[in-house]
Amino acid sequence: MAQRKNESTGRHTLLYFLRRGVVAFLMLAAFELLTGCASGPAPRAAIAYTGDPIIDGNAELAAAPPKDRALWDDRIAATALRVGNFDEARAKLDDAILQIGGIIANNADAAKARSLFHSEESKTFIGEPYERVMDYYYRAILYWRAGEPDNARACYRTGQLIDSDAETHEYQSDYVLLDYLDGFATAKLGGDGSDEYSRAQALTKRHLPPYNKDANVLIFAEYGEGPRKYAGGEYGEQLRFYTEPSRIHSARLIIDGRRIALPPYDDLNFQATTRGGRVMDYILGRKAVFKNASNTVGDIALIGAVAAANNNSRDSNRAAVGLAAIGLISKIASAATTPQADVRTWDNLPQYLSFAALQLSPGEHPARLEFLTRDGEVASDLTREITIIVSPDGSTNNIVFLSELTR
Amino acid sequence: MNITHRFLLLSSIAAATTAFFAGCASQGVQNPSGVPVTQMNADEQGFVAGTGVESQDLVTVTDKMARSILGTPAIAASTTPPRIVIDPVENATRFPINKDLFSDRIRIMLNSKSSGRVVFLARDRMKTLERERELKQTGQVTSSYDPNPVAFKGADYFLTGKLEGLTTKTSAGTSDYILYSFQLIDARTSEIVWEDSAEIKKQGLEDAAYR
Repeated sequence: MAQRKNESTGRHTLLYFLRRGVVAFLMLAAFELLTGCASGPAPRAAIAYTGDPIIDGNAELAAAPPKDRALWDDRIAATALRVGNFDEARAKLDDAILQIGGIIANNADAAKARSLFHSEESKTFIGEPYERVMDYYYRAILYWRAGEPDNARACYRTGQLIDSDAETHEYQSDYVLLDYLDGFATAKLGGDGSDEYSRAQALTKRHLPPYNKDANVLIFAEYGEGPRKYAGGEYGEQLRFYTEPSRIHSARLIIDGRRIALPPYDDLNFQATTRGGRVMDYILGRKAVFKNASNTVGDIALIGAVAAANNNSRDSNRAAVGLAAIGLISKIASAATTPQADVRTWDNLPQYLSFAALQLSPGEHPARLEFLTRDGEVASDLTREITIIVSPDGSTNNIVFLSELTR
Repeated sequence: MNITHRFLLLSSIAAATTAFFAGCASQGVQNPSGVPVTQMNADEQGFVAGTGVESQDLVTVTDKMARSILGTPAIAASTTPPRIVIDPVENATRFPINKDLFSDRIRIMLNSKSSGRVVFLARDRMKTLERERELKQTGQVTSSYDPNPVAFKGADYFLTGKLEGLTTKTSAGTSDYILYSFQLIDARTSEIVWEDSAEIKKQGLEDAAYR
């Protein structure tokens, strides 16, 4: 009898330690999953900032993971355009377009981004459509500068295609300047361009200037701050955009006694917020549902485990262990599910895009650039004196890039 | 412990173990060993692909054009090699490309394969050539010939081309059709003495993570 009692006590002790072991193991697994592994990505090298946005941007690019390469290319390219470093801008935009321009299929990173336990940010950044459009829009400016209006036109056409799958038909391919400049390039190449002009005019209430084939100065202007992304929803599964109302609503160039209006033809905040849903939003939504459901299952199982453990019978104890295991696994799965939307943002885009074409005589032309508020008042703190130099070569398109943004 | 309970317990441990190690394996760098450099023929499709103009298209199109030009009577029946000037190709597709690749490769193919049946004039080097002639005319550099008479040759033909595209994008994917057309134009009469084309269509659908 005493021997049987000792055996029973020993079995209970063993079961007790086994249960404890299982629980400890599961908790360790949960801890590891939640905190990440020691063998995860190597910490990023510290960057010694110089204050030069191009140098610092390139240092960030060098330290960034390959999946973020296009993001840094984009940011550096915009800055390079603004400081007049066109070679740098071209190199970065070409590199970015190489990554965003193809069809990404059968890609391991993309598959990871769709999986339950990896965030959308694990995919290679190519940006939302309004960001990809800007890659082509900026590259087109540099094609104009290089004397290749047909390649500039190709960029405008790809831009409109990128914008063609907005959820609502009304917002598909609705960039005014992409159509307008497509037609302008065609006109400059000796073609007609009237179809593109008509399409562009239909997209805006503003009167678009008719094409001047003899224009030799092309002014690209931008002002205001572009959209920022943030994650909304219970688990951050919804991609949303934050847009800040711009102080500047228009611009003008005063040159040779003429006032050249630079109105806002396109608004990137509008473009970002009128895209509608993505296929990826549906996937993230399902991840969020799984996260929520597995968390609820975990709660129920753990409550059940506590209730069973309090019953003090041998079977109840076993059931308690099982329920605790299920509960913990569900909790682990819930915690490991990452439905967060990808909020990596090309954060130095402008809000408004504008354009004007002028015909100027060769030589230097002093000019004043003024930015106007909503009330039409000149924002004097932003007024700039500039000089436009027009090449004596009549076939050259002299490109002027004007931005309110400095980096 | 009965079989059901044991199974439940072991399953739980197995699942937790899997989750534990999966958590580790999924982090870190993708392709940690990298993807080795693969040498490919220019007319092969690589593993990095889009629906735009790619090297295999360039090779296919320019090979076809070079063969076709040599077969045209204006070239085949000419007693003296006709002089050809290349007029830049116009890109009317949605793909920004280095258009010179097309005319350059056709010129290279004709020069290397035609045994001197055509002669190309280097009009794209006129500034350099004029500068050299000027230096010779003003005696700043030596010359083995009289640099004063005009010796730059005129064109018998212009070789030019155009790339045009048609794109369709739906929820089923993106489809791009490109028509590559090339012409040989008689410089004296403006007649198009030869014309040929090639067409390539590609389509694909992006991963859902990008849609």
